[in-house]
Amino acid sequence: MVQIIINSSVDGAGPAEWLLVELQGEMVSRQNSGLAGNLMGDLLYTKEGVPVLIVGHHILYGKVVKLEKPFAVLMKHSGLPQGDEVPMETNHQNPTTYSVAALIKKKLIFKTRPKPIITNVPKKV
Amino acid sequence: MSRTLEEVQATIQIAKLKENDLQNTIHCLTFGESASSGDYCLMELDDTLCKHIEAGKSLVIRGDLDERAVLCSEDKTYDLKIADTSNLLLLVPGCLTPDQLTTDNQASSQLVHAQIWGFSNSYWELRKRHPKLKKLKKLLMENPYEGPGVSGQEDVPEGKYTMGDLLERIQASEEELEAQLQTIHACEVNGYWRLLDFDYEMRLLGHITQLVDSESWSFSKVPLRVSLEELGCLEPQEMVEHSLNCYGRRYTDNDEVFFALNEDKVCRATAQMLLQNAVKFNLAEFQEVWQQSVPEGMGTRLDQLKSLALVDRSSKPETIFLLRVEDLPEDTLERFTHLFTMREKWTEEDITPYIQDLCGEKQTTGALLTKYARLSTQNGIKVFNSRRTVAT
Repeated sequence: MVQIIINSSVDGAGPAEWLLVELQGEMVSRQNSGLAGNLMGDLLYTKEGVPVLIVGHHILYGKVVKLEKPFAVLMKHSGLPQGDEVPMETNHQNPTTYSVAALIKKKLIFKTRPKPIITNVPKKV
Repeated sequence: MSRTLEEVQATIQIAKLKENDLQNTIHCLTFGESASSGDYCLMELDDTLCKHIEAGKSLVIRGDLDERAVLCSEDKTYDLKIADTSNLLLLVPGCLTPDQLTTDNQASSQLVHAQIWGFSNSYWELRKRHPKLKKLKKLLMENPYEGPGVSGQEDVPEGKYTMGDLLERIQASEEELEAQLQTIHACEVNGYWRLLDFDYEMRLLGHITQLVDSESWSFSKVPLRVSLEELGCLEPQEMVEHSLNCYGRRYTDNDEVFFALNEDKVCRATAQMLLQNAVKFNLAEFQEVWQQSVPEGMGTRLDQLKSLALVDRSSKPETIFLLRVEDLPEDTLERFTHLFTMREKWTEEDITPYIQDLCGEKQTTGALLTKYARLSTQNGIKVFNSRRTVAT
């Protein structure tokens, strides 16, 4: 049987808290070059605390939601960890472990239909 | 190449948003370099697990290649499943929420560059479940302990398991495993957890009840010290004490340790000892022998035998036979199939002890019966039978 350990603290302090941003649909980069390093959009908040996201030519309105069930972000590590007794499966050379990178207790969810931004409005001189 | 505040403000203008309506902090979100690497995942937690992780405690995933994986904390077991969502979930470390934006940290417009560390459209879903403990007894039965000095058997490590060994094979948390070891009267001998051979277990109990009888003690006040002195020549003291712990409640009175023997447990064990020797017994005869076999002053009652034995009131004369719930299938559907194959119709009173352990959190046996059985009335009594046709 396999035992995979999920470690929760690396340095004694609890894990950091991150934010989840939930969007409908999927994202593709315009040049099909992959998403890494690319700009996604600008996130603003109104004075009433409503989150607003400008992505490409769209503007989305969302809301802040406290998660009923928080998430843990788990990072996978293949290979021997630094720590002490990790049970070794005799079949595996390098046991897999996970660590909790962060906890997520809140999310911004954007469920409304994106509104297009019309850009070709000539500026009045 | 990164966006400037001016560029963002221009975008805001084009989008026809008024800067007056907005908070001063703007986050510019970009995808991080390792966002697509996939060496991470999201796991949904409940409050208990969240606090567990915040306290720095670890969790373990346990499972054989052919088993469904479970997640264990120190005292609970959860089923692990992957749930998909049609939405995109972005993970952003450095992002503030409106309640974190105060007038202090927002003197003027400012741009915060926040990286999207990762994204996903699935997550691990956890559901609390019963630990899978049937395997424990199976493992410990490979080499039951028959007492010291049983020749040839004690030197081999085969069929002997330490706690660490057990945790590697059983899908349960450590605390649930320890509780079960106690329930089945397992004993740690030389670092290995051992199940006692039933005859040996009864021999130990027999020594104790005979001593109680010959010393004319009350079985609610069995002195530990004297018991160990008197019986130490027959059996190892640890085993005598183990037996007292299994069948009695330990307490101190004036600095002396006593045990109050549990009438139900003793009667139950005695019944098992009698019933295991035959397929079934004449009920009346059994009840007589049973009462005579238990210590003086203890009373036997049929309800002590729930989940251990079953009475057949349809046979003439009425009979009773051994049926232990721990010998039945662990899976709910298999359990019901087995029970209905054995006996076509069950009263609620008879079947309840054999399905009690299947109940999930907040689930009643009534709910299980509604789901897995069909109710009918026979001679004015409610009976349950199978929902499907079962080959008898």
